Amino acid sequence: MTLTGIPIFAVDFFGSVLMIFFSLLSLYHVWNLKKSGPDNLMWTYLFWVCVALATFAISRSSGHILKQLLFISGNSDRWSRIAPYSGTVNTFVLIIVASITLFFERVWNIYDGILKDKKALQKTHEELVYINQNLERIVAERTEALARSEKQMAQADRLASIGQLSAGIAHEINNPLGIILGFTQLLKRDESDGSQRYNDLKTIEKHVLNCQAIVSDLLNFARNSPTRKKRVHVHETIDEVVNFIRHHAKLGDVIIDRYYDDETPPLMVDEEKIRQVLINLVMNALHAVGKAGTIRISTEFNRHHRQVALHVADTGYGIERKNLTRIFDPFFTTKPTGEGTGLGLSVSYGIIKNHGGDILVESQPGQGARFTLLLPAAGPEETET
Amino acid sequence: MKLILKDPLAMPLIPIRLFVTAAMLLATPALALATQGHGSGEGLYVHQMSHLFFCFSMGILIYWLKERHLTRELGWRYIGYAAALFLLWSLDAFTAHLLDEQLSIVSSQRIGSWDILLDTQGFDGRFGLFYYYAKLDHLFCAPAMIFFYLGLRRLSLRAVAERRKRERGGTTG
Repeated sequence: MTLTGIPIFAVDFFGSVLMIFFSLLSLYHVWNLKKSGPDNLMWTYLFWVCVALATFAISRSSGHILKQLLFISGNSDRWSRIAPYSGTVNTFVLIIVASITLFFERVWNIYDGILKDKKALQKTHEELVYINQNLERIVAERTEALARSEKQMAQADRLASIGQLSAGIAHEINNPLGIILGFTQLLKRDESDGSQRYNDLKTIEKHVLNCQAIVSDLLNFARNSPTRKKRVHVHETIDEVVNFIRHHAKLGDVIIDRYYDDETPPLMVDEEKIRQVLINLVMNALHAVGKAGTIRISTEFNRHHRQVALHVADTGYGIERKNLTRIFDPFFTTKPTGEGTGLGLSVSYGIIKNHGGDILVESQPGQGARFTLLLPAAGPEETET
Repeated sequence: MKLILKDPLAMPLIPIRLFVTAAMLLATPALALATQGHGSGEGLYVHQMSHLFFCFSMGILIYWLKERHLTRELGWRYIGYAAALFLLWSLDAFTAHLLDEQLSIVSSQRIGSWDILLDTQGFDGRFGLFYYYAKLDHLFCAPAMIFFYLGLRRLSLRAVAERRKRERGGTTG
């Protein structure tokens, strides 16, 4: 059968042109691909596949175009001489393309292994950096905590020594004071009310009672006074203290806030003494804030340690760094003479220590102060002692 | 040249050039003194085997691409399409050679510049028509080359974009 060869010749010719054109474009892109990742094994593989395929495409297509041109121009005998060489090159390069293609699996396995190693290395590096950064922070925190606890221990030792001394002195003074008070009251009975002698004896009695109160406080500080513990809901005690202060102290523009942790369990404490501590702390806070400011009383329950933290924070003038280690010392005060005995915090310290707790202070000058009472929560079976 | 020596899987170009030159010399029809003494069908058989080998390679490439889920990415999917079309082209070319040169079922002769005479040698005339369509093999290999180009372009643009992103991240970090 005789058929028109135009479709075959046209498809052959234009198809060959397209093959050459797109194989050159492919070479351009695979070169960019290889440049973008010179160490990427897959890009190297694709590069060589593309080079071989482009060589085949250009060789075969050039041969086909030449063939068509030679036949059209009537030089078919020339094609007969060229055809074997063209065919040989085409066959050879086709085998090369097929062979290189078969390397895909091997290359991919190596490439995949390299990627996995890289990721593992990156992950290890990030973990090391994280550990290094956190190690420094943890070490810094622990060092700081150690320094703080060392200071606290030193302070506790010092206060314990002072407490022993105070207790000894208090007991020695208490007896003579008791005798003076007794004889003063006896003499007062024999005098008529309103007389000069009666008023003088009354003055002596008042000051002796003051001295006895100081002695009592010293004994509290030294933890020598007896405690009567019972199960107490500390939030009720705080409410009582706040109400007491509202009624008896001039608050002015001072705001007292309360934030309670609902999970706070009862404490096994001497309620009267805890109330005394709270009054001391709140009164100190009132003094610090002056006419306007905020006093915040809050509670916090630590389940892990079964410990209740009671915070009293103020927005007052703060405590100077040099005084922080001395504020629990007996008779230490920053108030003007006559405005306090300097025993409030000492007594509070003694009371809390007597309850198996601790009292901590944080303050920066000008930024207020925060006192924290740490007390153990009552066990489920503890009753009054 | 340096690039080739650095790449562990680089094909050695110098030995290939030497081999091609030697092969061309050996294949010169005028060398009647060739020591091989084999029949003249060797070239055709080698050519046919190269087509089959190429089909096998393309088929296995398609399988590997699918097995490793690479075809999820568009660039590699285009390369998969190219492999499929090259496989079809190779089968088509193999069939055409089989019909006209190997089994001599169809003989073609150019008449003038634009017509061809197809003789099916006593076989069914449909072989002639089948052979006619088989000669349009560029309808497979040209689109195959285009898909190959599209695949490489896609991979290249993405790789360049990722490299730029890494470089930007490095300078701002």
